[in-house]
Amino acid sequence: MLTLAILIPMLGALALLVSPRLGHQAARAVAVGASVVSFALLLIVWIGFDTAPSAPDFQFLAEVPWIPSLGIAWRVGVDGMSLALSLMSGVLFIASISWPMENPERPVSYYAWFLFLESVSLGLFLVLDLLLFYAFFDLSLVGMFFLIGRWGHDGAQRAALKFFIYTLAGSLAILLAIIGLVLSMAPITFDMRSLIAAQPLAGYDFQGGLILLGFMVGFAIKTPLFPVHTWLPPAHVKAPGPVSAILAGVLLKMGTYGMIRIPLQMMRESFAAYALPIALFALASILWGAIVALGQTNLKRRIAYTSVNHMGYTVLGIATAGASLAGVEKAQSLALTGAVVEMVAHGLITGALFLIAGGIWARSQTYELDAFGGLAKVAPKLTVAAVIAAFASLGLPGLAGFVAEVQIFVGTFAVFPVIAAIGLLGILITAALFLRLLQQVFFGDLPSARAGFPDLSRRESVVLSVLLALVVVIGIYPRWLLDLIGSATRAIVGG
Amino acid sequence: MLWLVSLVPIVAGALIATLGARSRTSLGVLAGGVVSVTLILTVLAVVQGWSATLTWSDAIRLTAALTPLSAALAVTVPVIALAVISHATQHEARQGLARLTGLMIVFAGGMQLVVIANDLLTLLIGWELIGACSWALISHKWTDKENPQSGLYAFVMTRFGDLGLFVAAMALFAGTGSFDYASIATLSGPWQGLVAYGILLSAASKAGQVPFAPWLFRAMAGPTSVSALLHAATLVAAGAYIIARLEPFLSVVPGWQAVTIAIGLTTALAGGLTAVLQNHSKRLLAASTSAQLGFMFIAVGAGYPGVAILHLMLHATFKAPLFLIAGAAHDATGSYRLDRMRLGRVMPLIAGLAVIAAASLAGLPLTGGGWSKEEIVRAAEHTSFWLAFSVMIGGGLSAVYATRFALLAFGRSHKEGRDIPAPGWKETVGIASLVTLTLAASLLWVSPAATVLANALGATLPEGTMAGLVISMIWLAAGLVTGFYLAHQSPALGRTGASAAASDWLGLPTLIDRGVVQPVDALARAAAQADDRLLDAGLNATAAFADALSQLADRFGEAASDGLPEGTANIFGLLGRDSRRLQTGLSHHYYAYIIGGIFVVAAILAAGA
Repeated sequence: MLTLAILIPMLGALALLVSPRLGHQAARAVAVGASVVSFALLLIVWIGFDTAPSAPDFQFLAEVPWIPSLGIAWRVGVDGMSLALSLMSGVLFIASISWPMENPERPVSYYAWFLFLESVSLGLFLVLDLLLFYAFFDLSLVGMFFLIGRWGHDGAQRAALKFFIYTLAGSLAILLAIIGLVLSMAPITFDMRSLIAAQPLAGYDFQGGLILLGFMVGFAIKTPLFPVHTWLPPAHVKAPGPVSAILAGVLLKMGTYGMIRIPLQMMRESFAAYALPIALFALASILWGAIVALGQTNLKRRIAYTSVNHMGYTVLGIATAGASLAGVEKAQSLALTGAVVEMVAHGLITGALFLIAGGIWARSQTYELDAFGGLAKVAPKLTVAAVIAAFASLGLPGLAGFVAEVQIFVGTFAVFPVIAAIGLLGILITAALFLRLLQQVFFGDLPSARAGFPDLSRRESVVLSVLLALVVVIGIYPRWLLDLIGSATRAIVGG
Repeated sequence: MLWLVSLVPIVAGALIATLGARSRTSLGVLAGGVVSVTLILTVLAVVQGWSATLTWSDAIRLTAALTPLSAALAVTVPVIALAVISHATQHEARQGLARLTGLMIVFAGGMQLVVIANDLLTLLIGWELIGACSWALISHKWTDKENPQSGLYAFVMTRFGDLGLFVAAMALFAGTGSFDYASIATLSGPWQGLVAYGILLSAASKAGQVPFAPWLFRAMAGPTSVSALLHAATLVAAGAYIIARLEPFLSVVPGWQAVTIAIGLTTALAGGLTAVLQNHSKRLLAASTSAQLGFMFIAVGAGYPGVAILHLMLHATFKAPLFLIAGAAHDATGSYRLDRMRLGRVMPLIAGLAVIAAASLAGLPLTGGGWSKEEIVRAAEHTSFWLAFSVMIGGGLSAVYATRFALLAFGRSHKEGRDIPAPGWKETVGIASLVTLTLAASLLWVSPAATVLANALGATLPEGTMAGLVISMIWLAAGLVTGFYLAHQSPALGRTGASAAASDWLGLPTLIDRGVVQPVDALARAAAQADDRLLDAGLNATAAFADALSQLADRFGEAASDGLPEGTANIFGLLGRDSRRLQTGLSHHYYAYIIGGIFVVAAILAAGA
């Protein structure tokens, strides 16, 4: 089932690749169809998923041997965390593929690359083999590189290259760390479940620390954390809106998902030793991301920097969960649940924000905040969507971001009270920066250049309504999501 | 079930907000219907003792319940909202009226959530919701950029206070593993202090206490109906309500009572002085709100939360109509300038209503506001004579500004033949019904009524001394005389010069602007530049270094490229067609980068092994 969910988008991509004469509409129909089928399969998995405490951690397992001598195999399976993330990715891919192309050139290969990217992204979350994980990690860079470089706007190639080189350097660090981790197992295996059970580096302080450093550097670049985040703003600014949505919504999550799955789960002891510095980097990202976002004059750069801030919250929750402190398992489990909810919430919210930003670009060819004002007059639907998404992103209760952030902060406070208290300033600054953004773009006088600014089309309205409806539902009644994620975090933290 | 009290207005309000252009009548009927249903549900909930729970996860449960104190406020909110929102549908500008009406109903629903909350997380949800509603309502006339700016100011300022509630919730959970109010009692040590002072911080910011008071002035950018709701029954009231509700848990914390009294007293006096000096009718009322809320803080600090809630309820009955009246006066004269009004002859009915409400604000004997103010004086007497004496001074200031307001706005004009229409009955009935409540509150001077009400709230009424009452009356009289004198001798007080400067919260907003807003903005710009230049420069230098390294690597290219991860190489081969189209001339660069990177990583590994 999971294998099919990965394969179907890939087959869709291949189908598009061999039929280059397909029209725009037909190509999009194929892409939407493939991603919907894949999502439906994931829904079936979700329905069959057992969240009871007695249920096994990983379910829907499948294994096909590949290189037995090295312990490499096609292994797939999900726990509550990876299922939640892949469901979110599935939604976001359908949304981004349905969203109108910003620059309608070569639609067939555009949709083919999108399906390729969906396949490898889902693959990353669903596989339970480290080598496959690494392969998908790198392949996701390739897909993103071409989507930004070929369909982005002015100077996109340079931004795409910077993104590629930067994150590839990170993934090399991860590769070395994987090799180090796997070599410490006897016999050698890339099976994630065996590695989690074996904790191969327990007791090896020095190697453990070095391998942890490799993983954390690689994942920190991907996430991205301060100070290795500078590839993110140019990549976002040059990328088309739907590609930005996937970059922020899905690709950034690979970094934090990796942090939980590998360092936190497979090297608990080493992670615990360095939990405090990791939390400090997270705090720096929270504050730096927020304050730099406040200083931006470019719509998309401002949203991009809030990703640094939000992923900082996520990493803070992860660091809390990994700290070794007796008697606070309940708080740690809460923080980790919050971190995973933040990944889901950020995916939906920032996905919506980037689609909105893309829509604004498509109508005006600029992101400069000064070039806007009073859009509420001509585009009321867009305004309502932007207001909801902005308030969700600044963590307003009743919307998804709050459910995540309140759990992260409350959980973290029991472990790192001072860091949590300082981190709260982040939510204050994000409030200021989003309200200022709304004020600059949607209120005040309408510049004459924007007089004919069209409101959301039906297609755009539907896409945004679905994303934002999920944000509201999670914000008010998140139990279905928390049960799913909680089943994984309980097992990880042991609380 | 109890959720309905909040959920019905929130959902219905959100729907009404999206209706688009509708007639005043249909909006009035809709709004009146929804708020009435909310009121009926609330009364049912109180009578039948409803409560509610919503489970989020094993660790998090949202709970709601009513105590006698919260029940009293839960009924007050829809009563005031009914009059104010109905008035808004008849009075406010047609443009965006459905949105305004709907959001005001959501606002009231959010306030109900604050009132029924039985744990800190539920409280926090309601708390932030009403903050967001206030942003939307203050920004209502968004075509003028000033208004969204004021909304932002109000939201960020109150959200700063919300952080206190975040800290309180975090500390409570860290200490007890639960968010329930009841578990605050089991806390001790630093956790307990964080909870108590965190709640106090957020209460002070919502209630417009010093140093957060200036946001209330900025909130005046909203329509007057919004101000009436915000000052009487919702946002501001939430601040005083929550410390009164949680007083039994918080007053045991060392120093908490003294700090609460200090905040309340400072605001009561500074706010009173600011109001005396104001020439802007709404700002005068706004400063008086801070001052009156200061009295409530004093009552809570003195250990009489029930008295604070009583004053809160009575304050709502006279402050809401005063704001609506200020709106009517503004429509008649085109400005909020008090020195240009004197509308007594033009709209005698409104003037009469204004005098009744202002008398209550002044705290005259036999008015509802006068009764609860004297109760606060008595409560303060139990702490110390000097505290009571200071409250009396605050009472004197109330008399000054209330008198000034009534005389300047509705005194008799010497100008003849002004052609100003008085508001019609539709715009008067809401005001009149609120003033009727104020009048009814006069009954509290008859002791059985007061005892009955106090028992219903479970409140203790403090005993006072005759001497205290006499001194209080002397201050009151002095205040009235001063008010008369100022209104006649210097009607334009606060319009220009030193009094104008002082009337802007004694210079506090400027201090906040220079001390916080501007530095943060400068920091943000500097950080944005640093992020572009320094951090990225570091990266570019690394890239240049890698470039140099790759020149070297080129010589050993063949050998090194074997070290490339097989998968990556294959992909590049496969994707060669695309990459050529994209990167003509650049491909060799990134191969070189990768090779350079490998060398660096290998070197690190060699050093580590």
